Parts: sequence; C-alpha cells; structure tokens
Amino acid sequence: MSRLGHLVGYRLVGRPGLRLQRQREERRLEKDSAGPGRPLAPPLRSIARMREMMSRHYLEGRHVQGVRPVAWVTSGAPTEILTSLGFFVVYPENHAALCGARRRAQRLCEAAEDAGYSRDICSYARTDIGSLLSGDTPVGRLPRPDLLLCCTNICQTVLYWYRVLADHFGCPLVLVDTPFQYGEEPLPHEVAYVRRQLEAIVPAAERAARRSFSERRFALVVARAKEASETWLQILERARHRPSPLTAFDSFTHLGPIVDLRGEEATTAYYREMLAEVDRRIAAGVGAVRHERHRVLWDNLPIWYRIGPLSQWLAARGVNVVASTYANAWGELAPLMDPADPFESMARVYLHPILNRSAGQKLEAMRRMVRDYSADGVILHSDRSCKPYSLGQIDQRDGLVNQVGVPALLLDADHNDPRAFAEEQAAGRLEAFVEMMDG
Amino acid sequence: MGALPPLPSRREVLDREHAAGRRVAAVLPYHYPRPLLRACGFHPIELWGPPGVPRDEGGRHFQAYTCDIVVRATSFLLRGGLDGVDAILVPHTCDALQGLASVLGDFVRPAPPVLTLYLPRGRRPADRDFLAAELRRLGAALSGLSGITPDGGAWEKAFTAEGTADTALAGLYARRPRLAAGDREFYAVVRAREYLPAEEFAALATALPEGEPPAGVGLMLSGIVAEPPELFDHLAAVGARVVADDLASGARRLYPAGEEGDPFARLAAGLLGGPPDPTRGDPIAARASHLRQQMEAAGARGLVVYDPKFCEPELFDVPLVRKHLAAAGFPVLHVEVELTGGLSQQTLTRLEAFVETLR
Repeated sequence: MSRLGHLVGYRLVGRPGLRLQRQREERRLEKDSAGPGRPLAPPLRSIARMREMMSRHYLEGRHVQGVRPVAWVTSGAPTEILTSLGFFVVYPENHAALCGARRRAQRLCEAAEDAGYSRDICSYARTDIGSLLSGDTPVGRLPRPDLLLCCTNICQTVLYWYRVLADHFGCPLVLVDTPFQYGEEPLPHEVAYVRRQLEAIVPAAERAARRSFSERRFALVVARAKEASETWLQILERARHRPSPLTAFDSFTHLGPIVDLRGEEATTAYYREMLAEVDRRIAAGVGAVRHERHRVLWDNLPIWYRIGPLSQWLAARGVNVVASTYANAWGELAPLMDPADPFESMARVYLHPILNRSAGQKLEAMRRMVRDYSADGVILHSDRSCKPYSLGQIDQRDGLVNQVGVPALLLDADHNDPRAFAEEQAAGRLEAFVEMMDG
Repeated sequence: MGALPPLPSRREVLDREHAAGRRVAAVLPYHYPRPLLRACGFHPIELWGPPGVPRDEGGRHFQAYTCDIVVRATSFLLRGGLDGVDAILVPHTCDALQGLASVLGDFVRPAPPVLTLYLPRGRRPADRDFLAAELRRLGAALSGLSGITPDGGAWEKAFTAEGTADTALAGLYARRPRLAAGDREFYAVVRAREYLPAEEFAALATALPEGEPPAGVGLMLSGIVAEPPELFDHLAAVGARVVADDLASGARRLYPAGEEGDPFARLAAGLLGGPPDPTRGDPIAARASHLRQQMEAAGARGLVVYDPKFCEPELFDVPLVRKHLAAAGFPVLHVEVELTGGLSQQTLTRLEAFVETLR
C-alpha cells in the first residue's frame, strides 16, 4: 500500500500537479512588472522552481514511509552519507522555519509548552516538538524516522532536542560531535575524532537502510554537494554588485534546497539556473531594492515570521540587506570539500561552520563581509532562541562600531517565536539605525 | 553547623596556595581532570557564579537571556574577584559556557590565560580516545604556564591524592543515611571539594560524625547547584530532607577510578565513567532510570529539579524525566532560580506545597 501511495500520490499525481503549479507561478511572475511605487523588484523567477522542489520534497515525505529509509537530521549534519544510501532526509529545523514563515509556529510552540517544554528553549525545537505532539504541520505529515543523525557543529541544543526525539520515536540516534573551534584551524586530534564518527555513520545507516554503502556513489554525492555549495556561494557573492541583484531575504527564501537537498542532481541544476537569472539581472542593471542607498549585513538567523514586512520596511528606506552570515554558512565551506578524499575533507568541513567557531572569528568573518559587500552597517539579530549564535554579539557589535567603523544594531527578537518580538521597539531602533547610516 | 569545623573561604585558600608556592586555576562548571591540574602544579578553585554578585558588568557582554553562572562569573572577574589566579579553565559544558570562554578569550582578555577543555558528548571508544588527546593538549598548556611537566612519580602522587579525595566524597554519600549532619552541613562538605586541597577535603569528609539522621520527607535533588544554602534550612523547616542528589555540583561527579596505564587515558576513562548526565548526551531514559534507582535506594518520595534560569540541557530533559518518573510513581517539581543569593517567596511556597503533597 505504501509503495502504491508513493507511486500514485507522489509520482503520478503529485509531481505533475506541482509542475503545473510551478509553470503557472512562473507565468504570473513574468507578468509581475512591479510598478515604480514598489520598493522591491519582483521576486526572482527561480522562486517558483524552489517552491516546487521543496513542495515535492515534503509531498514525497507524506508517502515515503516503507518506500525509502527515513532519517531526521540537523542542519549541519553530514547528510552526504545518507543521501548516497538513498535515505529520505527530513530537516526538523527547516520544517520549523517553514512553520515560522507561515505563521504557524506560535501555536506549535504553545503546544510544546503545554507539554512542559520551557519557553526558554529554542523555538525551532518547540515548534517541532509541538508539531510532533499535536500532529499539526503545514506539510501534511512528516514521515517517522528510521534513524536520527545529530551533529553538534551548530549548537549543543540539537543534541538535547534529538535526545527528546530518540525517546519519542525509539529509533537509533547517531551523534557526530564536533569540538568547538576556539582557534583558527582544527587540531589533528579533532579532525581524527570527527572522521572516526563520520565513518561510524556508515554501518548504522546501512543497518537502517538495509543496503550497502558504495564509496563510488558517496563520492558522487559529495561532488554534487560541493558543486551546489559552490554555486550557492557564487549566487551570494553576486550581491557584491551595486546595486545588488538580490537581498539576504531572498537568500533566506532560497536556502531550502542547499540545506535539505544538498547532493541531489536537481539541486545543483536549480542553483545553476538561479545563478543565470541573477546574472541576467546584473546585466540588465536591475537591483533587488529599487533605490539602493544603503547596504547592510545581517547576522544570525532570519526572523522567519517577519521576513516579508522587514524586507519591505527596509527597502522602502533604500536599505538593502545584501548579505548574511547565516546564508553564507552553506557556501563558505565548499572549497574544503574533496570528493577524492571525502571522509577527511568532510571532517574538516563539518568542524568549520561559523557557529562552531569562536566569537572573535565570527567578528573577523563579519569584518571581511562588510569589506567584500561594501556594507554600510550591520544588523545583529540578537536571537533569544539561538544562544551560540547570539552570545558574543555585544562585543562583536562594539568591534564593528569601534574597529570597523560601521554602525551596528543589536535587534532583539527570536527566529521563530513572535512573542519575543516587539514590533514598535524594533521599528524605533531600526529607524535610528537608518538615520545613523544617513549620516 | 555544629559538627563542622569552620571552613576557609575560597579567597583564603587561594592566598594559602600561593603562599605555599602553588598556582591556582579558577575552574568553571563542571567536569574537569583534577589529577592533571595537580600534576602540572595547579590547584583548582571552582567558580559557580558566584551567587549574589550583580549581573551588571557581565551584562555588558551577555544578553539578558544568558545563564546566571556565565553572567555573574564575568561580573566577578571584572570586579577583580579572580585577581591573583594564574589561569581560568572553562570546560565545554554547554553553549553558554562555550560563549563565556569565547568572549573571555577573544574580547575581555583577562590577565590570567583562558584555557578550554572540550568534553565529548558520548562514551564511545572514539570519545574516550578524543578526550585523552584533548587532555594531553590541556596538559601541555598547563605545563607551559607552570613549567612543570609531570613525571611518573608526580602522576602517581596526583592520582593518589585526588583518588583519596574522590573516595572520601563517595564514602560521604554512602554514609549519608547514617550521618547526623543536616543537609546544609552535608552540602557544605560536598562543596568544599570545589576549593579545598584534596588532603584537607578527604580529612573533612571522613570526619563527619555518624549518628541519628534528621527526620523528614525524603527528597532527591537534581539540577545544577543548590544555591543559596538557605534552601536546605527551608526544606528542613517544611519537614523535608535531601536523601540523594543528581546535582552537577554533587553526585554527578562521583567518578570511578580509571585504571589504565597511560595517565591521559586513565583521566579520560574516569571523567567518562560518571553517572548519566544531560550534558554528556546520555539518553533521557537512562538518566530517568538512574534517578529512579537512586530514589528507590535512598527512600526519596519526590524529585526536585533545581536549576538556574536558561539552563537548556536541564530544560529539555524535564518533561520526559517527569514522564518516566511519574510512571514509577515519583512526582517531580521543577524550580528555576536566579543566583541572587536569596530565594523568592514564590520558590519557597512551591517547595513547601510540593513537600506537603509527599507526606
């Protein structure tokens, strides 16, 4: 029955339906000329394909149980091994962000809080735990995992969260623990430790998938992931152009495939298309913000439930948030990946995300981005839910102001829980920030 | 406190150690290798805030939603509370302590060097091997500061002294049902392990006299640190006593003696041999099972999880610990406190009401 459901609901009916939906959206976007009164250029046409890909992914998730092995993974996890074994991969963080963007997160957080989970824990975790306990999700249904894969390179929170999931589902939890990088380069014993854990994923995943690992297939997936990440980075770097053809808010929206579907051929093709579209914008002199006066760097996760209004509000004042440390994280490591030596290079890659590096190194990364993207200021989202990203921001802000010489604003919010966002206070602080850039 | 001799303050111990020519390391919570510090010429004095230090100075580096231990420790440092220490060791216990080490090392840059220790989140052979290598790295850093590279004899002396103190601590817990001391005295002794030299601690712990233990409804205390000590006075006043604990500052640090030849492997085996712990990645069911066994053995009727605000490793576990223990017939009360040095009326009322339900 499950194979039949997958064949009919996903392959024969679902996918063609989503393709038609995408084609309709593309036609609509072509007609969207965005009148002169609108502060933002029309959305990139690629958004229709991105939506199709992500909808297809979640649609398959509704029918995949019993057809493909299922793994739930953290956003910094080495999924290439799982992808090469044919796993259907679910990213609870991405699902939570989707709930946030669709304004469903608050009620899901409240469902988790009703079950005893404190409002002081990560709102992604609360959103997903709330969804798990209530069955409420905008994607219809998430498949049960056969395996949980947790990598601590973004925070320790994910391990606390995945222990809860392991208790709930009773399935194996595979951990890749990545020592925090206080120094600039990982030490040999740290690389060896991570490599050993990566290699240990293989037998656990083989057991869950009931199939054998292929080094050839694995190297192919790593090569695809590398190409997709490199292309993603090239797209982001196009924002160095003035006016920038895209905003960081665009990058937040287009992030889904590089996080969820990295290593698949369709993902690489999608980002190649997106890059071509962005290049066409540059050639035509189209800026994502109509009258780009100020260019700003964003630090930390997006405020998912306010992406649209915030983007509009800033654009109306001629502010283009051209880059973010967050979206950059899925591109900056691409050069480290080596399909010829996948385990060793992945050990280095997965040790190195910005969230696994010290507050001082993060300031250095921001300093480079301010220079490379010609940013006039920095907004540091002080994210109540993401302590590892946020602790250190007060000193980073001081460093940006006093050493780099750009205005920097600490904006209090939460990536998924709107109750931690004070609209009026934020608007007042942003007004003052824009005035400072106006000089 | 009649049964206890007067205990020196941490500052007095620091001055005494310096006068004796030894270096002192301020150590943040909570797993770290005492024999290694000792062998490399350092005496550890732990820093759990301290409670009561205002958050003001720390608040200039950390947001309001940051753990009290981190913010108050930063305040304490900036107020000169750590003047005279020769190093600051920050074990990687959680994201908040990671942030503290990072901010101290990169921005605050205090006079004493900031050393770090990454604690693996598992107990697999790979974790043990990594931890041994990580301890070797820490040892090299300590030796670099002190100029002392321990030889075989120095290692043996360090393991023996610290092992004796660990045995005394374990013995203290084992003798607990026969001790005349109240909870406040008992934990004053347990926590003296945070700053007294091993020999003094061992003497103190073994000297605590046996006798008729105080009466009261038995509680198990879990969480991070039982501050302020008046907590125990209040529990006694409402007719409760602590018969077992799973505190980060208490029984979570009952390490078995490692027996391997290589000192770093021995240290790693010891550190990874402690009871289930939310900061180590142990399954929640394993932690709940450990708590249940301890409660049954000690005759506890309920569990109080007692945490500083914003403690994520604890907060994630509470609902499932509550569920697993409820299935075994043990009620759970979760209390979050700010380390202001006092207890709020609301906390006192909740504790009192909980104890009443257990009678």
